[in-house]
Amino acid sequence: MTHLDIELKSLKTDMLEMFSLVKNQLEKTKDALTSLDKDLAREVMVNEKRVNGFELKLDRDCENIIALLNPVAVDLRFVLAALKINSNLERVGDIADGIAKFVLNIKLDVEPQLLQTTRLVEMFEIAIGILKDVMEAFDKEDTALARSVFKKDEVLDEINVDANTAVAEFIRANNDRINQSLYTLSTIRKLERVGDQCKNIAEEIIFYVEAKVLKHKSLSQKEELPGETKN
Amino acid sequence: MNKRIKEQLAFWTFRVLSFLVIAILFSILGFILYNGFSVLSWDFISKMPEDGMTKGGIYPAIIGTLYLIAGSMLFAFPIGVMSGIYITEYARDGLLKRFVKLMTNNLAGVPSIVFGLFGMALFVNKMEFGDSILAGSLTLSLMVLPVIIRTTEEALLAVDNGFRHASYALGATKLQTIGRVVLPMSLPNIITGMILSIGRVSGETAPILFTVAAYFLPKLPTSIYDQVMALPYHLYVIATSGTNIEQSRPMAYGTAVVLILIVLILNLIANALRKYLGKKYKIS
Amino acid sequence: MHKIESKDVHLYYGSFHALKGISIVIEKNTVTALIGPSGCGKSTYLRLFNRMNDLIDNVKIEGQCLIDGKNIYSREINIEDLRKRVGMVFQKPNPFPKTIFENVAYGLRVNGITHSTFIEERVERSLRQAALWEEVKDKLKKSAMELSGGQQQRLCIARALSIEPSVLLMDEPASALDPISTAKIEELIYELKSEYTIMIVTHNMQQAGRVSDYTGFFYLGELIEFDTTKKIFTNPTDTRTQNYITGRFG
Repeated sequence: MTHLDIELKSLKTDMLEMFSLVKNQLEKTKDALTSLDKDLAREVMVNEKRVNGFELKLDRDCENIIALLNPVAVDLRFVLAALKINSNLERVGDIADGIAKFVLNIKLDVEPQLLQTTRLVEMFEIAIGILKDVMEAFDKEDTALARSVFKKDEVLDEINVDANTAVAEFIRANNDRINQSLYTLSTIRKLERVGDQCKNIAEEIIFYVEAKVLKHKSLSQKEELPGETKN
Repeated sequence: MNKRIKEQLAFWTFRVLSFLVIAILFSILGFILYNGFSVLSWDFISKMPEDGMTKGGIYPAIIGTLYLIAGSMLFAFPIGVMSGIYITEYARDGLLKRFVKLMTNNLAGVPSIVFGLFGMALFVNKMEFGDSILAGSLTLSLMVLPVIIRTTEEALLAVDNGFRHASYALGATKLQTIGRVVLPMSLPNIITGMILSIGRVSGETAPILFTVAAYFLPKLPTSIYDQVMALPYHLYVIATSGTNIEQSRPMAYGTAVVLILIVLILNLIANALRKYLGKKYKIS
Repeated sequence: MHKIESKDVHLYYGSFHALKGISIVIEKNTVTALIGPSGCGKSTYLRLFNRMNDLIDNVKIEGQCLIDGKNIYSREINIEDLRKRVGMVFQKPNPFPKTIFENVAYGLRVNGITHSTFIEERVERSLRQAALWEEVKDKLKKSAMELSGGQQQRLCIARALSIEPSVLLMDEPASALDPISTAKIEELIYELKSEYTIMIVTHNMQQAGRVSDYTGFFYLGELIEFDTTKKIFTNPTDTRTQNYITGRFG
């Protein structure tokens, strides 16, 4: 193995660890929210520092690889993708941290009725599922798996749109629970953004494996397998 | 005149001149062979001269020349090569070194008869060796010393410094570097110098005139203090003095043929040696 | 104690001031690259450490050069011993016109080793270390001059390693080679690091980036900057260093 291979392998391992870190943050936040566990929420917020520190380290590693080892072709695409994915993951980490802050600030339980009508728990689970998918897609260089994420994200968008109505209705019925309702809505927005970040990660994975740029393309174009051309 | 014509003119001029040289060489050889052919025979080479040099052979002169070649090389080769090594590898650049090199070159230009006189004065008289193989060999070796020194020098200089540096960098001393790397690589060219010297030694008459050569010896030499007959002197003697010049004239030509042949054979041997060493150390 | 150190070293070729107060510290088992434009003293500095500058007339050296804490220019030091501990690989591959085996065995023989099994084992080990064994194991008795340029250079590396130096000085070892041979040699250097301390002069900056842990930038006989390679290549302190590295040199 050349020096470059060793560094790239190390980078990949570290990226997977970042993925893992962030996934755990998200899972902990979900548990904290559903059982209103403030201690768990505090754990998430403390861990956020680790996530940020790790992001900085990964950025520096990518910089060093480019400066010292002159990667080209797929190696260069990998490092550039890693830089961007790193940033995406950091934002997911921020989102988890933000939701955890809510848990700390809520005074009462979240209304079970609200939880149900907004499908909040389902959203959490889908978001975490999508994150796991891109993590595996990154590990196995599985572009089909990466592409599957685009469709799954649609569900998140759907829930997000429906949530407006659900929450509005709840507020009309329970106007002493406005804070709760707003926190819930906020959480839903945040989770929708998790989906977006994961979509970006999927695009980066496809870019580095296939050298195909999917940014700013329509859904059907994104789902095209290499070699096809729909329109 | 246009360029093409100039080119052609030059080409043909060079060609004609070269062929001219070859033609001259072949005519000399041919002339000698033609005239000496009649006396060439096994007897010629193996028998003593008889009947006032009009019959018989030139055996003792052949032996004498071979002894002188061996003797002179014995002195000149080691001394010459070691001097060459000293000048090239050890001496520091400076006035002394330049002076030594200048003197060596000058020595190469000294006429051979001067060497003969010097040899007579020093070896024959002063050191009391008398007319002998010893005196003759020493005189001849002085004569060819500059040639050997110079060719050794050039052979050593031709070895790229990179090899020396590589050797030093491995912890070798200067002596080891010279012995294991530089000298083996320059051996082929040093041997060329030896070939040239052998040629000169075989053919020079003047240095041996006063130091070793005898007109006629009934017996072969038994010690280095003995006199000896030699081919070039023998040729001179047959052609100019002797009892019956006309009759022994063919013998003179025959002697010339033998002389040329000996030098040729020694050259071939040395060349083969040179090629073998060149291959062994695969320089090219 | 540092492995290699120079303290305020000045070197003069006659009246020409070639090295101006160079102080560098190099630790064991690292690769240090010396970069800079031609004629700026890098090779001269390298050659201090196996005293190859001694071969040039009219050289004056001031300051101290230390290896394992000892001044290598002091009178007690035996030059041949020094050169056994400090090996060198030159820019132009210079294998001796001998067999491949004898080339690698040369260092051992001139140092008095005659035991043939020992020599055979050492030759094999050195050729393996130089990543050349597989290519030449069946033709050890062939002439070294029959090898390609890249192979010859690896042979020279094997030859240098045969006497087990602890320091390896490399003067632009790949500059006369094609890209694939260069890559092989760079990988070699990266692997040798674990057993040797290496100083390498190179004109090729990417090479310095690829193989070295520390880099020193020389300009007109001065050491402008010396730092980890990462720092020099991502954020050098001196503008001159940055200009040289980015190729914007005047």
